[in-house]
Amino acid sequence: MLIAQLLALAGLIIGLSGIIRRYTETKRRAVPADSSPVKGDIPNGIRYAFTTGMMPWAKESTRLHMIAYLRGIGFHIGIFAAIGAVIISPFWGYLPSLLSWSLFWVLTLGAILGAAGGIMRIAEHNLRGLSLPDDHFAVWLTTLFITVAGLAVLNEAFMIPMYIVSAITFAYIPLGKIRHCLYFFFSRIFFGKFFGRRAVFSHGVSHREAVK
Amino acid sequence: MTETIELALKTLEDQLNQPLEAAFEACARCGICAEACHYYRAEPKVEHVPAYRAEQLRSVYRYEHDFLSRLFPLWTRSKKLDERTLVNLTEMAFSQCTLCRRCTVNCPLGVDTPLMMRAIRAMASAAGTAPEILVILADSAIEKGKDPSFYKEMFLEQIKEMEEQLRDITGDPSATIPVEKQGAKILYVPLAGAHTILPPAVVFNAAKEDWTLSIFEAANYGVFLADMKRAKEVAKRIVDEANRLGVQEIVIAECGHAYASYRWDVPNWFAGEFNFKVRSLVEVIAEYIADGKIKVDPTVIPEAVTYHDSCNLARSGGLIEEPRFVLKNVVSDFREMTPNKAEALCCGGGGGLVALAEYAERRIAAGKPKADQIKNTGARVVVAACENCRLQIGDLNEHYNLNVRITALTDLVVRAMRLPKPLPGTEAEHLFEGEMAAVAKD
Repeated sequence: MLIAQLLALAGLIIGLSGIIRRYTETKRRAVPADSSPVKGDIPNGIRYAFTTGMMPWAKESTRLHMIAYLRGIGFHIGIFAAIGAVIISPFWGYLPSLLSWSLFWVLTLGAILGAAGGIMRIAEHNLRGLSLPDDHFAVWLTTLFITVAGLAVLNEAFMIPMYIVSAITFAYIPLGKIRHCLYFFFSRIFFGKFFGRRAVFSHGVSHREAVK
Repeated sequence: MTETIELALKTLEDQLNQPLEAAFEACARCGICAEACHYYRAEPKVEHVPAYRAEQLRSVYRYEHDFLSRLFPLWTRSKKLDERTLVNLTEMAFSQCTLCRRCTVNCPLGVDTPLMMRAIRAMASAAGTAPEILVILADSAIEKGKDPSFYKEMFLEQIKEMEEQLRDITGDPSATIPVEKQGAKILYVPLAGAHTILPPAVVFNAAKEDWTLSIFEAANYGVFLADMKRAKEVAKRIVDEANRLGVQEIVIAECGHAYASYRWDVPNWFAGEFNFKVRSLVEVIAEYIADGKIKVDPTVIPEAVTYHDSCNLARSGGLIEEPRFVLKNVVSDFREMTPNKAEALCCGGGGGLVALAEYAERRIAAGKPKADQIKNTGARVVVAACENCRLQIGDLNEHYNLNVRITALTDLVVRAMRLPKPLPGTEAEHLFEGEMAAVAKD
């Protein structure tokens, strides 16, 4: 068990170092200076990008693909719950039973939604055409990660497999597609800055305000 | 590695800043962006999914920047850039993407696919694979800026004739079209053709504006090429003119890409030398109406009118409420398209595509969703505050039998101003009847 735990810890350290390295490398790149006069509100744009703009009803695409979008959200909740679960795993014994069961169900749901995503990548024509081997691997690896974390919550026998899968998952984060978790933040910030500066999403601005 | 490929890769490296890297790295390939693209809507196939298009450049980026991709290229389908790939990328970026940013707005991760398409355009421009006509148009604008005296005399003659027309239309013998007026408040930058000079002149005169007409045109083909050097040179003509005349403000004609670039990009290209406010003619007219500087009567235009949001004006420019404010004051039956504003569909004419005859068929096919949208409004008049959009919608009108008239916003405003004399049988009448899209095309 200790070896498995150390492996998971090593994986986490590798993963974190890789992500930090990627972060610093990206931060070293230039951000184009923008001196054009602001029309809207940049902080508001960034806020929108991470809150209202992420709501399933905020975009035509997510309204059209509501189920696929919610599946993705559920899957990602499962991933983050699994990461949290692994980190606090030495203290699982102290968790109240209600919390353990809640964790189990969140992970189970996440795993099911992850598997659904994996199947969709094979079954759906566009997704199949878009997917790289890396995408297939990433979705099944994280699904396995959530699954074993969920099983381990219920049954101690799955603790060692959970740590081993965790080690692989954590170490793979900076290497493959999963690193989009870092770039999501960059991307949404630039999105918020761009559209916030230009007042593109300033709904509710009166005509008079817009004119002035 | 050939010189062409070296140049293309160097350009990619030069472009690689934080936003571009984020666009390369953030995509989860979920494919949710598919229907956001008018190309996909018109012809649903995976090649038309924005994420798929972006992948074509990403595969090159990964090969250059991702160690796993170098070790196992098949794992991430990364590939070394070669001549054939560059040609394919170029064709895709210039003919299958109008840089409308609809996919960005619809992406849950906010991936800026047009930024990647711009990077390809820049690579193609540097490597010499970009469409020649765009290069010629950009270069001729630059040449014009180097020696304006070559055509200035003829231009001034034309303006004089137009001034006569203006006086006739307005019934105001003191109405003028000032050119190179030192110290004027506004420098108005038109497009090629009287249709972007005469109606605004009517409005400026009615509002008693202190303005002057630019001797240059607002269009900037360097922007479509994503060729910073050319784009900057084209813009410099107007920046220099504005500095020379000491104006306070540059007002851009109804033109999507010109507005977006002068309002949002050019101030960055000329930081320190750019001390002007930039507005679209649409904003200025909205202000005149709000302040009561021009009087308009919406009953003059009883036909059902709809408005097409130019992507450069709305999604990339933030000009969303202003044209609606104007329209609600000048027409009595205004109908919105669905979707509209930030979610508006691209007409298919942006990104310089209207100028690329070789892709006309593709462009018209990709405009089908917009044609359907127009049809669904039941409107008889379509207003677009962008010349390229008007040209494209004109083609869609013909191809899909929409039976609508396409007009600039200013033309409708002038009609609603109840001028004493619309002068039947002259070019001005056509202006007011919204026929200029076809005239300009010819």
